[in-house]
Amino acid sequence: MNNVMAISGIVVKELYRRKDFYVLFVLTALITLLLGSVSFFNDAKIVRYLKEVCLLLIWISSLVIAIGTAARQIPAERESRTIFPLLAKPVTRGQFIMGKFLGCWLACGVALAVFYLFFGVVSESRGGRNASSAELSSAAATVGTEAANQVDDHDHAGDGIEHHDEHAVLGHRSVVMNYVQALWLHWMMLGVVTAMVLLGSVVLSAPSVSVTISFIGIVGILLLGEHLNKVALRQPQPLQAILYTGYFLIPHLEWFDIRDRVIYDQPPIPFADGGLATLYAIAYTGLFLFLTWFVFRRKALTL
Amino acid sequence: MRLASPFLLLGLLLAVCFTLATTIQPRTPAWSDRGKSGDVLKLLLGDGRRMFANHFFEQADISFHSGYYPSIFERREPAGKSPMAGGADAHEAHDEAAHEKEMAFLGQPRDWIERFGRHFRVTEHTHLAQGQEREILPWLRLSAELDPQRVDTYTVAAYWLRERLGRVKEAEDFLREGQRNNPESCEILFELGRLYRDSRHDSGRARNVWQLALRKWTEQESGKPKPNLYQLEQIAVNLARVEEQAGQFERAIGLLELGKKASPNPAPLQAQIEELKAKVAAAATSPKVPAN
Amino acid sequence: MSVILKTEKLRVEYASRELSSGIKVALNGLDLEVRAGEVFGFLGPNGAGKTTTMNVLLGFVHATSGEARLFGVDVREPIARQRIGYLPELTYYYKFLTAEELLRFYARIFGIAREEADRRIDALLKLVELEHARSRSIKTYSKGMQQRVGLAQALINNPDLLILDEPTSGLDPLGRMKVREIIQRLKSEGKTVFFSSHELGEAETVCDRVAIISQGELKAQGKVSDLVAQYQCDLERLFLKLIGYQPQGAS
Repeated sequence: MNNVMAISGIVVKELYRRKDFYVLFVLTALITLLLGSVSFFNDAKIVRYLKEVCLLLIWISSLVIAIGTAARQIPAERESRTIFPLLAKPVTRGQFIMGKFLGCWLACGVALAVFYLFFGVVSESRGGRNASSAELSSAAATVGTEAANQVDDHDHAGDGIEHHDEHAVLGHRSVVMNYVQALWLHWMMLGVVTAMVLLGSVVLSAPSVSVTISFIGIVGILLLGEHLNKVALRQPQPLQAILYTGYFLIPHLEWFDIRDRVIYDQPPIPFADGGLATLYAIAYTGLFLFLTWFVFRRKALTL
Repeated sequence: MRLASPFLLLGLLLAVCFTLATTIQPRTPAWSDRGKSGDVLKLLLGDGRRMFANHFFEQADISFHSGYYPSIFERREPAGKSPMAGGADAHEAHDEAAHEKEMAFLGQPRDWIERFGRHFRVTEHTHLAQGQEREILPWLRLSAELDPQRVDTYTVAAYWLRERLGRVKEAEDFLREGQRNNPESCEILFELGRLYRDSRHDSGRARNVWQLALRKWTEQESGKPKPNLYQLEQIAVNLARVEEQAGQFERAIGLLELGKKASPNPAPLQAQIEELKAKVAAAATSPKVPAN
Repeated sequence: MSVILKTEKLRVEYASRELSSGIKVALNGLDLEVRAGEVFGFLGPNGAGKTTTMNVLLGFVHATSGEARLFGVDVREPIARQRIGYLPELTYYYKFLTAEELLRFYARIFGIAREEADRRIDALLKLVELEHARSRSIKTYSKGMQQRVGLAQALINNPDLLILDEPTSGLDPLGRMKVREIIQRLKSEGKTVFFSSHELGEAETVCDRVAIISQGELKAQGKVSDLVAQYQCDLERLFLKLIGYQPQGAS
């Protein structure tokens, strides 16, 4: 574990000594603040568009940081040959992979914490949620009963979807919990992404190829992953079977995207579901790391 | 000579560049319209900006539903207009049941992945209310910036600004902006007339605007094989009401006759015509009161 | 003296598209023995198999057959590398780190306690004369300075066996002399040094024993004086003879 931590420390150091993170953060902050300064129809209470844009930029930046950092690690070590003095020490290839993964993941975590802090400050400075605490506490009691009635009136059989015109009203604690959950799940997803990209980087040794393919794959999963079963159903065999298999095999990264819940002040997700999603992320991360080690363990490294 | 050569070459190159620039520049306007545009977005995105405008218009609808919105894989044939698309009398006439049906797109989960995934997405069908409708406005503003020729954007935004947020001035300014960008649009003129009548209580201006709208409609739609009759009915009926309030019963009857031709359900309009005709007859038979 | 580096019938094959057989034999039945406390020169022309041997000893490449052991432990076991120091031919270090950070990182890899690491870092930076530049990032170093920081990292764990790959390559005469001095000093401290080189003069000066390798096969191994006496020529002629070089005009 000592070796893993030592290697991960180098990765974190490399990230904060490079300009990538700062550039992305400044870009995100600039765009958000610029949009925040725009007045739409002289209404200063409008906040959700700002949250939407800021979170979108955070997601893009985090993916760029995670994919860019992870895809570079092993090929760059080989290209600059820094891997040789390192592996000439009592370091196993498994520890090397784990160290690289942990470093990238921790670096992403640090970056995410900074980004979400900025997001929290920006959204709270614009009123955060759409009702003040006083409004919320007084509204909570009435909405509770109304919502219950509406659930009775509008429950669709079986699917558990309700309709009511009242906007979801959240307490401050729930808002904070939403932010924390969004940050946590985002970080967990980046764990899977980092492990996937590391695997890609040992299979495809050219960093540019690895970055491009990883980016396409991950964005593809985020956009289409949850709909692959619907697409499969419309296809003839054997394409249907192939797509369905893919649907069950790919890591469903889209689960970890709970931006809408944060933007639209929805209640936090139950802890059990968050916990299960975390376990899911750990399982996939473990699988990808194992595959990375398996490919890398006997790979000849020639000076 | 050696020292002079690079400078000579540089001078020659500069002269060539200048000559080419002055020769080519007058010809460029014929190559593309894009360069002529004073609009930065048009210059940068070309006609691609319309695609982004559609995206932002849809984003407004997503925002109106607090993120509960069908993806392209879940979308069915539209059963009705979204309640966000206020405009005209659409909101009042909006078929809530059809909208409910349309928005019940999730259905039963097909597998455990879909079932579990639903814990992380918004699954409640809600509409913004209590002033939170303002959250859709930035997207509509962006949509208008990207595609100033998209008329819906102005009418929808004006509807919400005026009806739900009480921002009549902003609604009027936005409609005026839309009118400048779409001088031939009868929808915008119609919405502007509604604003004058309902919010400013200025029937005179409303009548002027609707008359202009009716003229525009006639110019644009009457020659078409399938004219927009719904629009004609809306303009004619609303204008008839203003004329009636102004005591111009004959004109009102004429407009209602026009509306009746355009309406899929002419019976109520016929009843109104009869009512107005009775009023005209009563006015004609009643003794005139001499003015003092 | 105990044997601390040993290879037995070491064979390494690579897949090759250029050869009709599809296989290139980089090492063929290599038997080496390096004893504790000696300076061992591993000599051979380019492409002879020196680097491949180093790659196997350091675990970068797995042998097709045969055995390689360090301190009696199979080289594939990471623990075999606990008591060695390795200096690559060219400097390959994290350029965004300072010399001090680099040495601290490697000290951590060896599990050296912080106080002890501080002491060793100070001593090594003094030894390689980089105390003044300890807080500068490595990317600002000259080639000679980078080579010296490489030597310092190879010594951070106070190794019993030092593997040096062309340690004086690319250095100016002063740099070469300093490296030679350090090798002599390590020998006097009882360390074992295994280095590959083209420099026959250098090998003759500092080595107790040498091995000459050509086309993946060991041609000779022993004390320099014994080999010179056996073949009745100096080391340079012996080297050329063993690698099969025929000078032009020689009959």
